[in-house]
Amino acid sequence: MSSSMLLVKDLWKSFGTIDAVQGLTFDIHRGECFGLLGPNGAGKTTTIGLLCGFIPPQRGQIVIDGMDLFSNPMEAKTKIGLVPQNVALYPTLTARDNLAFFGRIYGLSGKRLEERITDVLKLVSLTDRSRQPVGTLSNGMKRRLNIATGLLHEPKLLVLDEPTVGVDPQSRRAILNSIRSLNQSGVTILYTTHYIEEAQRLCDRVAIIDQGKMIALDTPAQLIRDFGKGMIQLEFNGVIEDYLIEQIKGIGKVTFLDEQKSILHLETDQTEQSSKEVLDLMKTNEVKLKTLFLSEPNLETVFIHLTGRMLRD
Amino acid sequence: MLRQMIAITLKELKVLLLDREALALLFIMPIFFILVMSFALKGVFEAGSKGHPIEILVVHPPDSPLADRTIADLKRLEGFVLIETHQGTRLTSEKAEELIRKGTYPLALLFPENFTENLLKNEKDFKERKATVYLLSDPAMNVQLLTTVKGTIEGILEHQAFLASLSQNSQKMAGLAPGLGGVINQLFKKAYEIKGARVELIHKFPKNYRVGRRPTATEQNVPGYTIFGVFFIVLTLASSFLKERQDGTFLRILSAPISKTTFFMGKLFPYYLVNLIQIGLMFSVGALVFGIRLGSFPAFVIVSLALAASANGLGLLVATLGRTEAQVNGLSVLLAVTLSALGGLMVPTFVMPNWMKTLSLFTPHAWALAGYHDVIIRGLGVKDILTETSILFGFASFFFGIALWRFRFNN
Repeated sequence: MSSSMLLVKDLWKSFGTIDAVQGLTFDIHRGECFGLLGPNGAGKTTTIGLLCGFIPPQRGQIVIDGMDLFSNPMEAKTKIGLVPQNVALYPTLTARDNLAFFGRIYGLSGKRLEERITDVLKLVSLTDRSRQPVGTLSNGMKRRLNIATGLLHEPKLLVLDEPTVGVDPQSRRAILNSIRSLNQSGVTILYTTHYIEEAQRLCDRVAIIDQGKMIALDTPAQLIRDFGKGMIQLEFNGVIEDYLIEQIKGIGKVTFLDEQKSILHLETDQTEQSSKEVLDLMKTNEVKLKTLFLSEPNLETVFIHLTGRMLRD
Repeated sequence: MLRQMIAITLKELKVLLLDREALALLFIMPIFFILVMSFALKGVFEAGSKGHPIEILVVHPPDSPLADRTIADLKRLEGFVLIETHQGTRLTSEKAEELIRKGTYPLALLFPENFTENLLKNEKDFKERKATVYLLSDPAMNVQLLTTVKGTIEGILEHQAFLASLSQNSQKMAGLAPGLGGVINQLFKKAYEIKGARVELIHKFPKNYRVGRRPTATEQNVPGYTIFGVFFIVLTLASSFLKERQDGTFLRILSAPISKTTFFMGKLFPYYLVNLIQIGLMFSVGALVFGIRLGSFPAFVIVSLALAASANGLGLLVATLGRTEAQVNGLSVLLAVTLSALGGLMVPTFVMPNWMKTLSLFTPHAWALAGYHDVIIRGLGVKDILTETSILFGFASFFFGIALWRFRFNN
């Protein structure tokens, strides 16, 4: 048995003139929680569409648990559970009816289906809401039910497409805890997000993608070690004078300057030392700062270092 | 407050303008209604007028002066066009029947071989002078229009019969001796009082039509209203597909081990079933409340299956073409009403202009209506409705083919 739960080789997909996915190659180990990190529009959802078999690629290979997705799609698809970005459920049907429908689509029936419905409802703490129409549930509950639906057929690989977007902090915590416990129970996870802290907290390895291309792949710790720099974000009350920018460049690498020339990002290995130097410089030039924000090296600063842009851009 | 109102107005206009297809439909829809309904209804309001004459096939023996005179009188009337030849050949009874059965013409006037002889024989006794003329009509023809036409023809025939019953000399007298007007008027009056001495116009349907009686208004209307209702499934079905697409449930289904064929079959079957129940219910009401006779049940079922298939196909096509709710709604209503009007559900096709008649053949509605009329009004069986059902299934295949080819699962 291969050690890879998912193998993606030279995957390409374009929509008209837009190259959404450009030669992605990676693999996900069994039992791993793998993060796909990138800003909105980086190609994460398209990659998921390709992996789940509802978007055909221009070329490339996808092997799920040793099964080629394109030559054996029906069998390969049984191994994947998808949790789409939006709540993909029927609002007028009850939670139980939704689960029963999607369970049947995956070939579950009778006692086995009932057992699975009970199990997943328990897992996402929605047992007491099972007879309630989905449309009447809170957003967080819908999100949890959305995850439960992807788990019904006990997939070997659970693909979650930004499952916490628009979710309140309490529900987000609950969702992340569920994912972690699922992963601990042996389910391989592919998790896409543009939230740094989620990727850092959950994932064993992270692939950073931007404009359809993979730009880095490693454990979060290693990525931070290799590419992570500290960052100082400076916000001025007015426009920063050019002479001042030149002097700041002597302290570290200026990675970002907004159009109004009032916000500046400075990349540095020594955030504390550099911030002192910046404050001294401001004092000397009698320039008042609006805010000063320090970031220790993290996946966000890794992304900025690699692309020159912020993840939320 | 005013600024806020203006902001809302501008936003709404922007949203409207961005959905250009839906906006276009809002304008196209009333234009279509006006065009289609005006052209179609023109036939109803002007049927029998100079600009919109009723076409009647005429079959008459070559040497029948009284038939000739009757035809000449009818030709002089505004609103009738009498057709004596078809494709350069003099019409026969068989050909006239065939043309009516095909729906090319609605009426035929058949003068028998010995029409003149029958009317002129035994000149001294009016009672013995009896001739028969046949008026052949499509059973599906509008009853009011038929009654009008029949009355007019009867009037002309009686007039000719009366003239024929007077001797040539009497006619000359009437023309040459004005002083004898009173006497001649008495003679005329006397002649009219003698019953059974004139021409009998017998109305009948083409052969092979098992119509025991004239179809009732309900029998004429129920199929039309049913077809109209059946095609409203287009809106329900298309909206359902749109919602699946917008909610993302399509993607969830497609990520499961399920083929697209299975998905479409499963998705469409309930709507097909709803259509069949709808048809069953509407005809049941017709049968139980108004006493309409359904004719051959197997033929009725086959037409219904084909009709529901074409309605579902059109629904899927609209689901494919419509990208927004407004587009789906607009397109569904536009198709439901204009195709119904074109297909002869609101106005019989034979009163439509020729180009519109031709256009109606490109609507499933017209073929479904023809199928139901064949079964219910014309009393025909399974083999007689094969053309209509084949065409309806053809429409269904065409709609499904295009829809599946162009279908987008992603929003």
